[in-house]
Amino acid sequence: MMNRIEHRMQELQQNKEKALITYMTAGLPDMEKTVEIIKEQANAGIDVIELGVPFSDPIADGPVIQDASYRSIQNGTSLVKVFAAVEQVRKDCEVPLIFMMYYNTILHYGVEAFVKKCREVGVDGLIVPDLPYEEQYELKAYLTEESPILIQLVSPVSKGRIPKLVKDAKGFIYCVSSMGVTGQGADFHANVNQYLKEVKAAADIPVMMGFGIRTAKDVEQQKETIDGAIVGSAFIKLMEENQYDARAIADYIRKFKAELNA
Amino acid sequence: MENQQNKKYGEFGGQYVSESLMNTLAELEQAYREAIADDSFWEEYNYYMKEYVGRENPLYLAKNLSAKYGPKIYLKREDLNHTGAHKINNVIGQILLAKRMGKKKVIAETGAGQHGVATATGAALFGMECTVYMGAEDIERQKLNVFRMEMLGAKVVSVTSGSSTLKDATNEAIRIWAKQAEDTFYVIGSAVGPHPYPEMVKEFQRIISKEAKAQCLEKEGRLPDTVIACCGGGSNSIGMFAEFIDEPQVELIGVEAAGLGIETGKHASAMALGNPGVLHGMRSYLLQDDNGNVQIAHSISAGLDYPGIGPEHAYLRDTGRVEYVSITDSECIDALLELCRVEGIIPAIESAHALAYAFKKAKTMKPDDVMIVCLSGRGDKDVHTVAQYLEGKDMNK
Repeated sequence: MMNRIEHRMQELQQNKEKALITYMTAGLPDMEKTVEIIKEQANAGIDVIELGVPFSDPIADGPVIQDASYRSIQNGTSLVKVFAAVEQVRKDCEVPLIFMMYYNTILHYGVEAFVKKCREVGVDGLIVPDLPYEEQYELKAYLTEESPILIQLVSPVSKGRIPKLVKDAKGFIYCVSSMGVTGQGADFHANVNQYLKEVKAAADIPVMMGFGIRTAKDVEQQKETIDGAIVGSAFIKLMEENQYDARAIADYIRKFKAELNA
Repeated sequence: MENQQNKKYGEFGGQYVSESLMNTLAELEQAYREAIADDSFWEEYNYYMKEYVGRENPLYLAKNLSAKYGPKIYLKREDLNHTGAHKINNVIGQILLAKRMGKKKVIAETGAGQHGVATATGAALFGMECTVYMGAEDIERQKLNVFRMEMLGAKVVSVTSGSSTLKDATNEAIRIWAKQAEDTFYVIGSAVGPHPYPEMVKEFQRIISKEAKAQCLEKEGRLPDTVIACCGGGSNSIGMFAEFIDEPQVELIGVEAAGLGIETGKHASAMALGNPGVLHGMRSYLLQDDNGNVQIAHSISAGLDYPGIGPEHAYLRDTGRVEYVSITDSECIDALLELCRVEGIIPAIESAHALAYAFKKAKTMKPDDVMIVCLSGRGDKDVHTVAQYLEGKDMNK
């Protein structure tokens, strides 16, 4: 079977549509609800979901996701429980799922066992923000055609590193809009447009933009270049402000997708 | 350059940081390599070490201790440095490098406040803007050092995420650095963090063992038998060991903080359980729970209260070159008071861990044997903590 992320991205490209990816921290408000929200998002037409596996020391995240991770750990969330939640989802839902997590959580579980478990339960992709290209060899050694794909992050200051980063990248390229951490508002790097074009020219897979995006309007200027947007902190805030209401979540996704493709 | 970047100590070390810091680290490494190959850089460093820090400091033969415990016990007096500890050696080195790189601002993390004070001092000396990140809990515990930093013109930012202590302050400093690296230099206080920091900190702390080795040869006509230093992140110890690592006849011992005892779980001994992990951009031994989340360290010494340890120490442990042991809060206080009474020196609580093990070790040594203990800092900052401990109030969580 083809990887769900790659499959969805191909479909979108054929239809000339742009993708929307949301991020949610697993275990908030609880794990049962996490499973429900994933399915509700799938029904609302989300393209890919990033599921955050909380870590005690999330150095690439801003205050919103830091706080969400902290509360989720207090709730008793662990990697084992997140795997169980994915198993639940996969009973009747095929939405592409990415784990966004820090490397220590993988190391602690055991790299080989982790990749095997991801394959078994149906995790399609991995984003590990503290595992730059040079440190990926250990994880890549266990990745196969059937295993999750490792998503490459590119930053506005990657410059000369861009060709190396996009060369063997799979699924999509995750372009970080600004330096620093997630959730800083749409305060993008001064050279963001030029940098996105550079990545787009170098990559033969879709280019997604994330960090600090709240609405489709925030990426109005970049829309021509990118293949879609990733929303994290703003999506978490939205869910909390609406007490994880299914309707509010679905409305947000539909509106964002419609505006993105307008 | 490519093969030097990302350097590992066996399986330890590396650069576990976000992509946006990778070029920053490459630039730092290049500037660092150029600096250490440049005699004028070291001339300037040595000038400030002598004229500003007050080096060289003595290798003091503690006669009373020696008579009482057996071997010749020498103390490397880092406590006599300006600002009262070894931290300033590294800060001067890193700030000179920052200046060379044209950076105008420096940031630092601090736990007890010692590295924060040293960085604020260096920043004042070289006219740089300085911001220090410090856990809200530590700010509460170390008010005097917060005031010192502010007097020196630094801005102290309270960090309230996670456990609100040193590890969280370090996370926050890394986040801010990722955002501001274009004009900001991150002065890391211990032999931790992504490459090239652990190596850089070692080179700027190497002066401890360079002096000690020469002083020992002069006084004893030979190398010491045993060298002992305390380890939190491990900067004074890596500096104290540096010149002796390639002298196999010299026994090297690192002393971690056992807090209330390793068996209680309330300790700061990253190596005791030998569980490797990734934190603060490096791979090393790390205190962590069953889910791979980082555990909060516990020690009466704020300077050793860190859940990880520098990656070269992890490597030196695994290769067997250095032996790592641990000392509890109560053993450390006994040793601290012993040094006060027998030699008239008030050591830092951190350094007292090394002393406590030195006293144990001395019992197995002969009168002609030579031991060096790194007295990494003075204890003025700890008087309050010691008083509270003696009153039976444990203020450390």
